[in-house]
Amino acid sequence: MEIRQMIPSDPHISKLSYGAALSAEDCAELRSIAAVTRAVDGGIDLISVTEKPRNVHLVLDGLACRYKMLEDGRRSIMALLVPGDFCDMHVAILGSMDHSIATLTHCTVVEIGPDKIHDLIRNFPDIIRAMWWATLVDEATLREWIVNNSHRSARKRIAHLFCELYTRMKTVGGVIDGTFRLALTQAVLADILGLSLVHVNRMIQQLRHEGLLAVQGAQITIPDFPALGEMAGFDSTYLHLSRHWAHG
Amino acid sequence: MERGFRMRYFFDIDKFDIDDGSFSTRDDEGIEFSSSSQVREAAIQALPELVRDEWPSRDRRVFTVKVRTPDGRYIFHASLTLVADWLDGPGRIQP
Repeated sequence: MEIRQMIPSDPHISKLSYGAALSAEDCAELRSIAAVTRAVDGGIDLISVTEKPRNVHLVLDGLACRYKMLEDGRRSIMALLVPGDFCDMHVAILGSMDHSIATLTHCTVVEIGPDKIHDLIRNFPDIIRAMWWATLVDEATLREWIVNNSHRSARKRIAHLFCELYTRMKTVGGVIDGTFRLALTQAVLADILGLSLVHVNRMIQQLRHEGLLAVQGAQITIPDFPALGEMAGFDSTYLHLSRHWAHG
Repeated sequence: MERGFRMRYFFDIDKFDIDDGSFSTRDDEGIEFSSSSQVREAAIQALPELVRDEWPSRDRRVFTVKVRTPDGRYIFHASLTLVADWLDGPGRIQP
């Protein structure tokens, strides 16, 4: 099954609609923000450590990450940016970046300047509310990664990450029949999970043999999501997808 | 081995337990590396993770990583042995 085209347009609107009740005007504004895009090859820094941040980045397609390089040359990845993800609405407040953001694959990104952010703050309170929600979800996700990487076995750690990515891709309409596309290499997984390449490779093969996960190039299939979630102890509360404000 | 030229290596795992016997898992997929020092490092790094994840209930266990080339030759191995013993008679703290 070829599912290159399975990411619908406007993933950022799909995502932000979980953070606030967006009006037709809000959606039109978000569409116009994403009208000017930039294509970036994989492996390119969108912003590097020590640089003065100015723009908010939005990933419309592809996969990007936040990372730091360790003194011995190893890379630690602290966040993944999938289609629809923004990074740091108020990043311009900071004097310099404490980490870098890079594309892992070819990406379509949008750069939102500080003037546009100020315009949104003045005129689009629900978009701002949704962006605050997204920032809080990013922090909650980071907390979950700390728990995952420090206390779970390699097997559960990998399973938990895939459950999260499945859920995140689903919120932007990127999952069809249990399958989504994310070009995650084993080296990237190792740098996210703090595990050796050999162990990541072994665990992925083991999960495949058990019928819990199939990774074929960029195509990831989770045939039985509840089973994988139960094994990993996955609870999606930290992704805050309940739309609680819609129920009074 | 030249740097930059990537070759695929397969990492098979043997576990030997004095009570449970041996288990082997064969790597069907392999990983590409461009130098022999990377291969060595990768094999050794995996050992403590194996021990951590498969915490043995028994007192004697040997974990071995064996590195295989695509033509089936073993070129490197590394082992980690876990030994646990009561020093003053068996099982002084009963569950």
